Amino acid sequence: MISRNVSRAVLATALVAALAVDTASAQQPRKGGTLTYANVSGLGTQDPHVAAAVVELEPINHIFEGLVAMGEDYEAKPSIASKWEVSPDATTFTFTLRQGVKFHNGKVLTSADVLASYQRYQQVSPNKSQLASVESFTAPDPHTFIIKLKEPNAVFVEVLKTPTYPFSILPAEQKDKPAREVEIIGTGPFRLGEWVRDGHLTMRRFDDYSIDTARPGIDGLAGRKTVHLDAVRYNFVPEANARVAALQSGGADHISNVPPDTAKRIAGQPNVHIMKVIPFCQQTFIMHTQQAPTNNLLIRQAIQAVFDVDDMIAVSMPDAERNPAMVFKTSPYYQPELGAKYYDIKSVAKAKALLTQAGYKGEKVVLMTNASYSYMRDSTVFLVEALKAAGVTTEVSMVDWPTNVSNMQSGNGGWNITVTGFCSGPLLGPQQWRPLLVGFPQVKGDTVIDENYTKFFSSVELAKRKEAWLAIEERVLSQAYMVKVSDMPDLRGHNGKFEGLKPYYFTRFWDVWQK
Amino acid sequence: MASGRLGGLASPLMRQLARQLAQAVPVLLIVAVLTFFLMHLLPGDPAVLIAGPEASREAVAQIRTQLGLDLPLHEQLFVWFTHLARGDLGRSLVLNQPVTEAVLERLPVTMSLALISFALTLPLGIGAGVLAACFRNTWFDAFVMLLALIGVSAPSFWIAILSVLLFSVSLGWLPSAGYVPIAQGMWPWFAALLQPALILALFQIGFLARITRSAMLDVLDQDFIRTARAKGVSEWKTISKHAFRNTLIPVVTVCGIIFSLLVGGSVVIEQVFALPGIGRLIVQAIIGRDYPVVQGTLLLLGFVFVLLNLAIDVLYTFIDPRIRYG
Repeated sequence: MISRNVSRAVLATALVAALAVDTASAQQPRKGGTLTYANVSGLGTQDPHVAAAVVELEPINHIFEGLVAMGEDYEAKPSIASKWEVSPDATTFTFTLRQGVKFHNGKVLTSADVLASYQRYQQVSPNKSQLASVESFTAPDPHTFIIKLKEPNAVFVEVLKTPTYPFSILPAEQKDKPAREVEIIGTGPFRLGEWVRDGHLTMRRFDDYSIDTARPGIDGLAGRKTVHLDAVRYNFVPEANARVAALQSGGADHISNVPPDTAKRIAGQPNVHIMKVIPFCQQTFIMHTQQAPTNNLLIRQAIQAVFDVDDMIAVSMPDAERNPAMVFKTSPYYQPELGAKYYDIKSVAKAKALLTQAGYKGEKVVLMTNASYSYMRDSTVFLVEALKAAGVTTEVSMVDWPTNVSNMQSGNGGWNITVTGFCSGPLLGPQQWRPLLVGFPQVKGDTVIDENYTKFFSSVELAKRKEAWLAIEERVLSQAYMVKVSDMPDLRGHNGKFEGLKPYYFTRFWDVWQK
Repeated sequence: MASGRLGGLASPLMRQLARQLAQAVPVLLIVAVLTFFLMHLLPGDPAVLIAGPEASREAVAQIRTQLGLDLPLHEQLFVWFTHLARGDLGRSLVLNQPVTEAVLERLPVTMSLALISFALTLPLGIGAGVLAACFRNTWFDAFVMLLALIGVSAPSFWIAILSVLLFSVSLGWLPSAGYVPIAQGMWPWFAALLQPALILALFQIGFLARITRSAMLDVLDQDFIRTARAKGVSEWKTISKHAFRNTLIPVVTVCGIIFSLLVGGSVVIEQVFALPGIGRLIVQAIIGRDYPVVQGTLLLLGFVFVLLNLAIDVLYTFIDPRIRYG
């Protein structure tokens, strides 16, 4: 009897020990393995200076690096630059480069490569206007790079962290390569393997990667990046159901963009884990200020007054979160009190009073939306009903996404209200909102916005910049140029076979290992 | 005997083929002009799509200039036709590669899919149609026609999703998406294409079965079939030698159409199964307003359809010796 008990105890101990060893080994990073990632679409380019789509930027983030990069909190962090100094007048920025950083072709990076890359950016990038105020670039020694501006810009380094049209460093030999024709050679922790357009892209571990040992660990797109995987394979699978099926059947280890309804259906199934990344984008309605009847401020304010945020979230994107501000809650510029004045008013009575004051006589209000993004369609249908209740005559113009986005930018198409999801503006901060606010033809010549942006860029102290941003937000919301609805999530799925996948705006494959 | 017939046919047949090829030139020209204007009439600016909804106006303008989209429409048409005259279909705005290269890269995928589908369609469609005709007005006939009706009516994307859930997710027999080149092995290539090819073939099997049954029934009512039976020719011989051969003209015509439809039908199936073929290329190009790709691909497909029709005309002369060109 005793011996049987002893045997059981020994067996139990052995099992627990084996389990513990197994768990510990799963948590202990180990080299090897290929992770298969089913993403929504193929890539047009891997030239970082002209890349704007998230599907293009994700591999670019692994293959290329810039002087600075977005950290975990989306602020600028050192990357190829180990540090930088800003002159007191915010016109000169001196970057010290990390030493021993190698390109994938084995060449050691110097400031000449940085200089050539910035010069190329000025030639080919659609985002080159961000460098319009540059007076000079200089590379006084192999490890120093200096940018001098014609006018102060206190957030210039924040501009350089942008993941859209990233300021990536390429070998100097690529300087004169036209847009979309560079060789895919960066300094990132992965190098390009195989790329079959519309099919798949493979990235392989770059064994000579220069890890930034000065950083304690993973930090957004910056920090200490350690690659454990041999390779990552991106499969381009446009259909959401096919991506989910790939995850369930073992054809993919990680998938992007899971529709909320599908996520609910598959959550809890074997080998299916849903990862929620929030904030990802902001759901925002845009009003056309140059198109009657929304060229009338009172009518725009009446439309703003009918918004019922909770119901709209419930109808269009149940996993979204309330946020009245134009930046995400993680931003140092987040000041929700002001936005709240113009948020979630849900007052039909106020809308009716404003319409009467405006002398509204039943003119048609056209709401342009699309069927490509269900949340845009559903929230527009919901808004139509709210507007009808306030006595507004409405018409829905249902188009495809390409038409919707083009008309939104150009102001054509006869629309008064449209809906979109803004991602990089709220993520990166006020400086990223600027081209949007001053660029859209429907928000023309607003001197209040222009003056406050001048103040924003020239203010070295954060407090003053916050003040300027508050004035800009106040202007945008009080003029009802746009109506904020929510901060939306992105839902991703994985099969639990890999450790280290953490929710972040961009999916990252460093510090990820096979269990 | 056979060579004599071929020799006799060669000259008028070649003349007929040359005439049909010459007639195809204005057809393709009209296809080219129509595609160009239809694409450019579509609202939606490719530069905005490439730059993204949050891009500045300068960014969009820069992309428009880089891609030559800032030129007036007639100049863009002229540039495209100048390139066409040199055999150059243009360069993709999004993929940054020549359209011909983009099409040729994807052609093996679509042709593999279409050929496997075709290989499934022919025996199953014709076999079902012949058997349904032979057993007309029986439960078997009703059953085959019901299956054909389902095949013709059910939306392929819906069948595809159900099939993936059954064969990939539940049973794990076949991959759910993706393409494996034949160079990486015959079985992986076939396994990747079997499920999409079968779903693509379902509609055509139903279509072909109905056409074959109808043609077969017409023939079975003919006097020569009655004569053959009266002479005591076995039923198998009557069907296979006399009846079936005479149904081939409408069936071959339909097979030509079916092959064209299989290539065209790949648009939906390639999207669902993430196959990097021409169908997906066209869908992505339309969504991204990649004008040169849509124009070039449709023009090439138009040319392929013209060639297919010519091939069917040639086949007629071998199936029915009474058909002569001249």
